[in-house]
Parts: sequence; structure tokens; C-alpha cells
Amino acid sequence: MLLNAGGCQVQNEESLVRRAQQHDQAAFAQLYEANFNKIYRYVALRIGNETEAEDVTQQVFINALKSISSFRWKGIPFSAWLFRIAHNQVVDYLRKKTRQATAPLDESLVSHDDNLQLATERKLDIEQLVSATRHLTQAQREVISLRFAGELPIAQVAKVMGKSQGAIKALQHSAIVALRKALSVE
Amino acid sequence: MNKSREFDNVLDECLERLLVRGETIEQCLQSYPEQAAELKPLLQTAVAVKKASAIQPRAEFRAKARYQFHSALQAMERKKRLPFFGWLPQWATVVAIVLVVLLAGSGTVAASTNSMPDNPLYSVKLATEQVQLILTPSDIGKAKLCVKLADRRVAEIIYMANKGNTQQVEVITQRLDNHLVILASSALAPEVGGVQKVLAPLPEAMPSEETRDSRDVLVEANSRAELRMTVERHAVDHPAALQAALEKSPESVKPAIRRAIAVSEAGYEKALEALD
Repeated sequence: MLLNAGGCQVQNEESLVRRAQQHDQAAFAQLYEANFNKIYRYVALRIGNETEAEDVTQQVFINALKSISSFRWKGIPFSAWLFRIAHNQVVDYLRKKTRQATAPLDESLVSHDDNLQLATERKLDIEQLVSATRHLTQAQREVISLRFAGELPIAQVAKVMGKSQGAIKALQHSAIVALRKALSVE
Repeated sequence: MNKSREFDNVLDECLERLLVRGETIEQCLQSYPEQAAELKPLLQTAVAVKKASAIQPRAEFRAKARYQFHSALQAMERKKRLPFFGWLPQWATVVAIVLVVLLAGSGTVAASTNSMPDNPLYSVKLATEQVQLILTPSDIGKAKLCVKLADRRVAEIIYMANKGNTQQVEVITQRLDNHLVILASSALAPEVGGVQKVLAPLPEAMPSEETRDSRDVLVEANSRAELRMTVERHAVDHPAALQAALEKSPESVKPAIRRAIAVSEAGYEKALEALD
């Protein structure tokens, strides 16, 4: 869900986390199930490789399990904390790999503004999307991945990335513009 | 600059309406006719991106990942079964066991049984308890021992709360939590395992339990029934005793006692679920 979670959901998550911290396995399992798909989608979009995204996703949850006792509820929702772990895991992965240097926004693409053929009108698949995100800056890719694949609300994306909500909205805007342009020439 | 910020907000609001509330692009554009021309292509892109990124993990991967997570959970649980000795090197555990066995004959161990945390013999009491836990082979035996130890911890919490010692109340509460965790996991042991109940189905079946003759089964059933009755009693008595202590204790200790009450309630609830 993109919108911010309601108070009731947040409370429920908080109570689950507290129980998980007291070794309640059922609570751990619920947190796992609630977040697994979103984390996977986020990682897959960031990495662009299914098999490797699977390994990284598994590692995210193992790391979360190991460090859940250190999680403190200070206004940061658990899912934002989990995505922070996923973000670090992805960064580590990309660093180890002979990183696919994310191309900065190509000026020629930016200026290509006349009569945009809407690539988005045809069926867009994940491979095309991953390929298009390579035209984005790291920060733009992160926002798109967290917002669309991870389904985080703006406030949580801001917390994960350590930026203001205004900055995230601006990044979101520029990322969609860049994606549209990238898709139109692919 | 302000205009650009305003557009960022409009775009974000439209995204929420489109992707979360299920409104159409046209509905969004009607709300912002002045920005419609700029908004429309961006919203179309956003919808396409959202659809493309809605991939699902493969079923086999989900099952494998769930199994791995389950294994990691169980490994952590096993680690926590030895809360006092777990961090010690193996030789230290052996030394502790030998010392307790030697002291057992001298009367020190017996004298330590009723010692409280502010008594010098208290560490002997804790070490003795840990040795007893290690040397108890059956899960049902471990569970029964944990019930007894939890009872002692509650008495100690009340004693230290009366003395206004918050730090000790917190430390003992952690021990109480450890006992209740071991109690629940030991109570689950004859079955397949607690995590699998909530994470099932798993890709590989767990090894089936060896068949036992009917008499053993009956003895164990009686033993579990007896254990359940004790746990049921403690599940009521312990939080009530702690609640009474809360009312009499100084303000500074109250948060720690509330935590102890929460731990005892949650711990016994979990243990009773495991015994069902």
C-alpha cells in the first residue's frame, strides 16, 4: 500500500515487533509474511536479476532476525527499518559486483521532448523497467524502487533515505520524468 | 521554485489516489485542470511502472526462503536455551558443572536454594539451576523445571521491587523471560515445532517422531496434563502477585514491574498455546 498505514495498523505492527523481540515466533512469522513480497520486489528492481534478488532477499530477513533486538520504536516504522536493511544489503551487493554504474540522466534523452511515443502505452515488463531505471540516478532509482516496488508511503521513503519528504517528492517527480523519457526511446 | 514544489505535491497526491484508492487518471486530472497536460503523461508512466514492478517471487523460492528463515529462527531459539552458559566457552561450562556437583555435598547448594539476589549465595543458586537444566534430558522435565524456576524468579522480582531495586527487577525479569521461552519450546518439542505451525507449509517434511509404545505415550500425556495445570495456575497467580507488588512499590520501580507483568502474561500464554 502506498498510503501511510493507519494508526491501528501501526499499533499492530508495533505490538508484533515487541512480541518478536521477546522471541515470539508467531510474531516473527507474521512480520515476515507481511513484508516478504515487498522486499523481494524492491530488491529485484534494484538488482535486476531474479536469482540474485532471491539470495539478497533471504539475507535481508536473516539479518533482520539477527538484529531485531536492536530495533527501537522511535517513530520509525518497522517496515522502514527493514527496507533500510534491504537497502544496505543491495548496496553491499552492488559494491561487490563489478557494479553496473548507474548512468546519470542522459542529456540527449532529456532534450528528446517532441512528440513522445508513449512506450508506457505498450505493455511494460519488469526487464524493460529495470533497463529503463539504469538511466536514473542512484537516488531516483531508490525512490522508484521503494515507492512502487516496496509500496512505501512518502514519509517512510524519506526515513529510509534520510531525506525530507519534500526532497523525496521532487526526486519522485524527476524519476518519473526520466523513466518516461527512457522508456520512450527503448 | 514554489511552483515546482507545488507540482511535486500535486503529482504525489494524484499517485496516492491512482495507485492506492483506485481512482482513474481522468478523475485526478479533473481535480487539477491547469496541470492536466503535464500530469497526464507522468501518471500514465506511473501506472505502467506500478504494474511492471508488481512481480511475485517464484513459489519454490518462497518455500525455500521460508524454510531457511524457519531454520534460522530455531537456531536462535536453541542458542537462547542456555542463557547463562551460552556465552561461556565450553571449558567454563564444564568447570561450573563440576563445582556445583562438588558443592552439592557441602550443603552450600542447599543453603543457596532460598537465597535472594542480594545474597552472596545467589550466584550459586543460579549456577545450580543451570546445571540442573543442562542435566535434565527430557523436554517435559525441562519444562517442569522451568515452571519451578519461573516461580522463584517471580518471588525474587517481588522481593527486589519491595527494596526499590529497579535494575535487579529488570535483570530478573529477563531471566523469567528466558525460563518461559524454554518452557514454551520444551512443551512444543513432542510435536513438529512451533514455527512450522505458523510458517507451514514447508518444502520438506520434518523427520517423523519415532513410534513409542502406548504406555510411554500415556505417561507423557499425564505428565503434560499435570504440567498444564501448574502452568494454568501460574498464569493467573504470577501476574496477580506482580500486580499486587506494583501497587505497593515505589514509583521508580513501577515501569520495571509492569514489564515483568507483561513478560509473565505473554510467556504463560505462549506456554499454554504450546501445551494445547
